[in-house]
Amino acid sequence: MSIRKKGYSHWEGQLKESAFVAWFPLTRLGIKLAFQKRFFKLFFFSAFLPALIFLAGIYVSERMEDFRFMIQGQPSFLQITPNYFKAYFTNSFFLFLLVLMMIFVGSGLIADDLKFKALQLYFARPLRKVDYLLGKMATLGFFLLLLSLIPGWIFVLFKLVFAGNFAFLRSYPWLPLAVVAYSLILTLFFAIYTLTLSALSSNSRHVALMIFGIYLASDIIFGIFYQNFHHPYLVLLSLKLNLQQVGAALFGEKLFYPVPWGWSLLLLIMLMGLGLAILNRRIRSVEVVK
Amino acid sequence: MSSLAHLEKKKTLFFPSVRDIFKFYFFLGLNSRRSRLFLLSSIVPIVIAAIFKGSQILYGQPRFSGLFIYSNMIMMFFLHFLILIMTLFFGSSVCREEVDGSTLPYLVTRPLHKMAFIVGKYAASTLLVGLTVTFSLAICFLILNLTQLGEGGIYKVLARDAGVLFLGVMSYMALFTFLGIILKKAIFFGLLFSFGWENIIQYFPGQTQRFAVVHYLKSLLPAMTQEGFPFLLFRLEPTPLAQSILTLLGIVIFFLGLSCALYAWKEFIIDSK
Amino acid sequence: MNPVVETKNLSKYYGNVLGLSDVSVEIHPGVVGLLGPNGAGKSTFLKLITGQLKPSLGQVCVFGQKIWNNPQLFADIGYCPETDAFFEDLSGWQFLTWMLQLHHFSACQAEEKANEVLGFLHLAEDKDRLIRSYSRGMRQRLKIAQAIAHDPQLIILDEPLNGLDPLGRRKVIKYIRKMGEEGRTVIVSSHVLPEIEAMTKKIILIHQGKIFASGNIHYIRELIDSHPHIISIKCNQVRDLAAALIKAEEVIKVFFTPDPQEVQIETRQRDVFFDRLQKLILELDLNVEAITSPDDNLQAVFDYLIGEK
Repeated sequence: MSIRKKGYSHWEGQLKESAFVAWFPLTRLGIKLAFQKRFFKLFFFSAFLPALIFLAGIYVSERMEDFRFMIQGQPSFLQITPNYFKAYFTNSFFLFLLVLMMIFVGSGLIADDLKFKALQLYFARPLRKVDYLLGKMATLGFFLLLLSLIPGWIFVLFKLVFAGNFAFLRSYPWLPLAVVAYSLILTLFFAIYTLTLSALSSNSRHVALMIFGIYLASDIIFGIFYQNFHHPYLVLLSLKLNLQQVGAALFGEKLFYPVPWGWSLLLLIMLMGLGLAILNRRIRSVEVVK
Repeated sequence: MSSLAHLEKKKTLFFPSVRDIFKFYFFLGLNSRRSRLFLLSSIVPIVIAAIFKGSQILYGQPRFSGLFIYSNMIMMFFLHFLILIMTLFFGSSVCREEVDGSTLPYLVTRPLHKMAFIVGKYAASTLLVGLTVTFSLAICFLILNLTQLGEGGIYKVLARDAGVLFLGVMSYMALFTFLGIILKKAIFFGLLFSFGWENIIQYFPGQTQRFAVVHYLKSLLPAMTQEGFPFLLFRLEPTPLAQSILTLLGIVIFFLGLSCALYAWKEFIIDSK
Repeated sequence: MNPVVETKNLSKYYGNVLGLSDVSVEIHPGVVGLLGPNGAGKSTFLKLITGQLKPSLGQVCVFGQKIWNNPQLFADIGYCPETDAFFEDLSGWQFLTWMLQLHHFSACQAEEKANEVLGFLHLAEDKDRLIRSYSRGMRQRLKIAQAIAHDPQLIILDEPLNGLDPLGRRKVIKYIRKMGEEGRTVIVSSHVLPEIEAMTKKIILIHQGKIFASGNIHYIRELIDSHPHIISIKCNQVRDLAAALIKAEEVIKVFFTPDPQEVQIETRQRDVFFDRLQKLILELDLNVEAITSPDDNLQAVFDYLIGEK
């Protein structure tokens, strides 16, 4: 008696593929795992301190009369112009916070999958390499945008609320877009940078060291060469300075170094391209060991 | 066939155990892929030195002399960055690597002194990193002082700097070995210490400076000029030479001893895969 | 005779989670099977007797000495861990010779012993390949190799047959039995009952961190009074036999199986039952093909004990 006669039947329905559904579980898991790490919650909430300070600055700038006892005149750092946004987004401490966030959240994202040979499990499911990468990048993007895009928009919103009029937006209508653009550049760069390094090793501790070490080393090497040669194009050696150059340009402010910001952007794009090429090579369901 | 009686004859001697562990991990360190990656990072200062020398040869009229660049830039790159990263990588791995990699059972079920494992692996890591940075430093020195290699006096500078770096490697390695045993997130706290605490505390005058390892290392070097290097400015109030060396050796003995004691006392729970 | 491994009221807590509770056993030379389901506490027990974990309560002695922080005992102990972990950048040969050198063998002695054991476990051809390129079975064999290469008196194997093919399993089981016959002590943990049965009759049953039973399989079975024995009889006149047996006091249940020539009896008094059966065979002139005890095995013992709790 064949199996069919006992009631076995094929499912006649259609497989519903949703591009969104494919990678979202990875992102959800990545975010959940990040919050399960000890000290991360403390670090996460502490990372909003710079944003809170800048938000307080916006409040103070609209209530200068109330703070006359503390501040005399109109200090330039409390003038809410695109320069104020540039000061938040391009300051070294903020960028360093993003690097620390990447170390916490991102160092084990791919490294742990390599360590526990989970890539085979992922790709035994209807998951493409693109979906896998999107899922991982979205995990990092979640935290990066929380620290960059959301505070940026909150600054704009609260400036309008505290001012009680739309004068600020009329003066700088492109500012919200600049916030979006720079946040996306920061997010894309740091996400690809972190994932590339995470894919190079199966040990998340080593990845953490590489994330920090390469970022810092690029800045130190710039410092060493600049002190000797004083050539402004040496700015291209430092990851931090390239990001700051692009930020300054997007917020319409004076560049940190007299080097066209297009070069910095091009370099960042090239590094991202290199990172994606490395990721494409490293993420495979089967590892051939010779 | 061995019997219970022969157990009495087979004493686990400390120094032979250290020797065996040292040989094993020194060999493993040379052959490990990730170790090679970090050891490769020691090529960076060589490249920097080569670029400086190349520009001097091509364009002449250098702003600073080769020895000046070597002492104030290259040496500082080693001291403020390279040895910190390398000792953090190797030091925190002394114990943590075996626990995370679940290879600890192979070691604790051998007739080896528990403390010998820490000392042996520490020694192997220190020698590996020490030789690498010394070799890299020497190459940088030779490149930057190409025209002065005939002067015998400059080699004292190299010897002194290599000694300082080696002492630095020993001290930081002992400290990070200890961190690796007590903390799971040793890398994170090690980075905070190396690039946070050690940097900030130098700007504090008086006795506060003495709470940083780098203070004692810099006390062994001649006073730096502040011309042209604002990013390296700090107010060093150096500790006398002998006291610095003794303090550094004391740091090594203290943290290594603490690591050995902790490792012998602690139990490590290996997750089943 | 002094036990090789002795534990007294041994307990281990992981925070609030009980790993092992009040375990008192004596293990003498021979092969002992440590049997229990996943999460029973087998690995915890083995880690305690190999000094990897400190007891929360009680004590554990190996060769008459406390094992914790007593490295000289390991000269005669071989341990095969359950976890699949190696120094991946080494070849099988390098790994094994280094492990032997950590036992203070000279380089020549280490090479000789490594060759011997790698040949025995069919790893000689692949000895120069990196461990990261080994298959699951090869890695398992290498783990066993490092546990036995130095000729220890006490061999502790945590799930040693995982990942081995049938030929490999047979070879290892044969080796373990041979070690037991030579007077060494071999403790093998497994959750696969036929494997343990093939190696030894001495077992320690562990479940939820507690020792349920310890000793010979048959002896343990006899002790389980609450569970009646099942006896299966194959003969030509099953219904006549069943009709006669159903009247007997010692018979609890009589039931038929799909096999038309088989009947199964449940009884608490095996001896009384067998006496009656002998008489019935003669009286009824039965042509009996087979008399077996389907539950006189480790699986049944295990199921009864676990089921009870």
